[in-house]
Amino acid sequence: MNDMRIVERDVDTNEVKIAARDVQVFYGDNHAIKDVSVDIDDKTVMAFIGPSGCGKSTFLRCINRMNDTIDVCRVKGDIRIDTEDIYDPKVDPVQLRAKVGMVFQKPNPFPKSIYDNVAYGPRIHGLARSKADLDDIVEKSLRRGAIWDEVKDRLHAPGTGLSGGQQQRLCIARAVATEPEVLLMDEPCSALDPIATAQVEELIDELRKNYSVVIVTHSMQQAARVSQKTAFFHLGNLVEYGETGTIFTNPVDPRTESYITGRIG
Amino acid sequence: MTDASMTPAEAKPKRSSLSVLDARTRKRNAAETRFRMYGVAAIAVGLLFLMFLFASILRSGIPAFTQTVMDIEFVLTQEPFEEAESKMLKTGEYQKIFVNALQSQLEESGLEVAFDNKAIQRIVGKPGGTIRSYFLENPDRVGTPVSFELAASSRVDGYFNGRVTRENIVDSRFLMASDLDLVDALEEVGIIHSAFNWNFITGTDSGVDNPGGAGLGASVIGSFFMMLVVLFLSLPIGVAASIYLEEFAPKNRWTDLIEVNISNLAAVPSIVFGILGLAVFIQFAGLPQSAPLVGGLVLTLMTLPTIIISTCASLAAVPPSIRDAALGVGASKMQSVFHHVLPLAMPGILTGTIIGLAQALGETAPLLLIGMVGFVAREYPEGFLSGFTDANSAMPAQIYTWASRADPGFYEKAWGGIIILLLFLITMNAIAVILRRRFERRW
Repeated sequence: MNDMRIVERDVDTNEVKIAARDVQVFYGDNHAIKDVSVDIDDKTVMAFIGPSGCGKSTFLRCINRMNDTIDVCRVKGDIRIDTEDIYDPKVDPVQLRAKVGMVFQKPNPFPKSIYDNVAYGPRIHGLARSKADLDDIVEKSLRRGAIWDEVKDRLHAPGTGLSGGQQQRLCIARAVATEPEVLLMDEPCSALDPIATAQVEELIDELRKNYSVVIVTHSMQQAARVSQKTAFFHLGNLVEYGETGTIFTNPVDPRTESYITGRIG
Repeated sequence: MTDASMTPAEAKPKRSSLSVLDARTRKRNAAETRFRMYGVAAIAVGLLFLMFLFASILRSGIPAFTQTVMDIEFVLTQEPFEEAESKMLKTGEYQKIFVNALQSQLEESGLEVAFDNKAIQRIVGKPGGTIRSYFLENPDRVGTPVSFELAASSRVDGYFNGRVTRENIVDSRFLMASDLDLVDALEEVGIIHSAFNWNFITGTDSGVDNPGGAGLGASVIGSFFMMLVVLFLSLPIGVAASIYLEEFAPKNRWTDLIEVNISNLAAVPSIVFGILGLAVFIQFAGLPQSAPLVGGLVLTLMTLPTIIISTCASLAAVPPSIRDAALGVGASKMQSVFHHVLPLAMPGILTGTIIGLAQALGETAPLLLIGMVGFVAREYPEGFLSGFTDANSAMPAQIYTWASRADPGFYEKAWGGIIILLLFLITMNAIAVILRRRFERRW
């Protein structure tokens, strides 16, 4: 997990999973996202970097339509997952969110048991036919969340009783339990210590095998460590995106270079 | 770098000792101590008032729970029974039988006190009717010893409670000073004594001239049916309204207006709800007067704002991250509310509801206008359904009615009624606390 890997990392030519074209987001009169067009590949980790308030989290929340829950928020433009327009009136956001999982900045387990936290999604989507089925899903998800060994003996203890890093991994396990195709992560490590961060980052690398992962991060080192592609946002604009190695070593736009070298931000 | 131009003396402020308080710190500490003292004083004053309140309620109300009774046992044989039944003034004959029995018992115990029928009437009223109806209902008891427990009049009760003394007694047709000798004599032989007044708790209201026979039971039932109506209407309506307002409704001028008005409704004087109830439920909808159903409807209107406000507050207190988490795994809005938000808000909702119910339980003014105050609840409702529609009183209404009656015996009953009302309120608040604890333990 060192930065050297950027260079070695060769990017497979995966097909495009999410295609965004000319996305505009308004919070009331505030034009928060301006003309963002980006392609996110399948089975890759894409990092969104940029200074605070640049709209990277807002754009992330457009991908699973979490912005719908904010009354004043309006989204224009076109976001397609596997060529399907997710802002089509026929698309039910609830169904979309089962397909596009999300992990939040602050670990937010339900105030229920560890088991129920993970089992909630499969339960409401009817993914398990029997109790044994559900047990399997819970175990598989907790294993994918790299937390199974720590909690297998206390599945019925409250999820809120875990440490911050464990809670975040529990939230990741909860997000993967519904078998999503895309996993959105909004600064998943900002509330964690370096050890927990390392565990989560390792996990993200694992998850790449099955999902297309989009991660918002403030830490450029983290972006460099975990992602294959990076997009740089500045003041609501997507300045540039491309292979992580290229963005960090040879950015095209001077703003990207200034941000990466620490001159703006 | 302006520091560079400074002389060393200016750059280094005078070193102060940590063990010596400077004037500013001393002042701040004094202010803090003063503030604590104000707090302690405020709490002490509050506790003092509370103690005074409880002491005066208990002192005035406890006598309502005791009743001076006259225990007398005698045998009515067949012959005087038939003779009495054949007379024109039948209860008068029984009265004579009773007085004779009393006379003989006093003589047996060696007490020689002269008394007449009038004195007995002043002490226990006219028990002839009670005795007659007992024997008519139980003819097989004729010829066997039967003991009667007869409630003494309110003045005699007062004499036992210390309200009436030999010094302050004024001879009247209710009680003469000379009767007290008889009462003392009866007490000495154990015929008259104080007993716990179950009738006060289980009985029904009596007429204005009989405070001894007045009980709160019927009005407790009335209050119970009102609370059923309030609970089953205001809880679902209130919770549904607040869930919609807080979770689903768009935040715009209309919902703001509605929320402000709900808050204002909570501050509307309860008598306004009373007159609204009179106009809408009784005059327009034609529901029966004095019925717990109407009382419950009026109190529902009054309780709704309280429940809506507390429910909205506890829903708003649920962290938004929980809603995000639920939506993030693909729960619908309703699933996120009912599976996650509502359980977390439950303790607050329950507390608000029970506080609202307790408030409704003690409310008198609206009942005044729908005819529950002043209604003499002489009978229990016949069944469950008629409990809602039969005219009845309610606890606070009953207390109000008693307090406005002339006989000082009723004044005592009013205080006693307040004790029972307070017991109910304390119980409800205890339930609120227990439920809160229970639900909070489920994280």
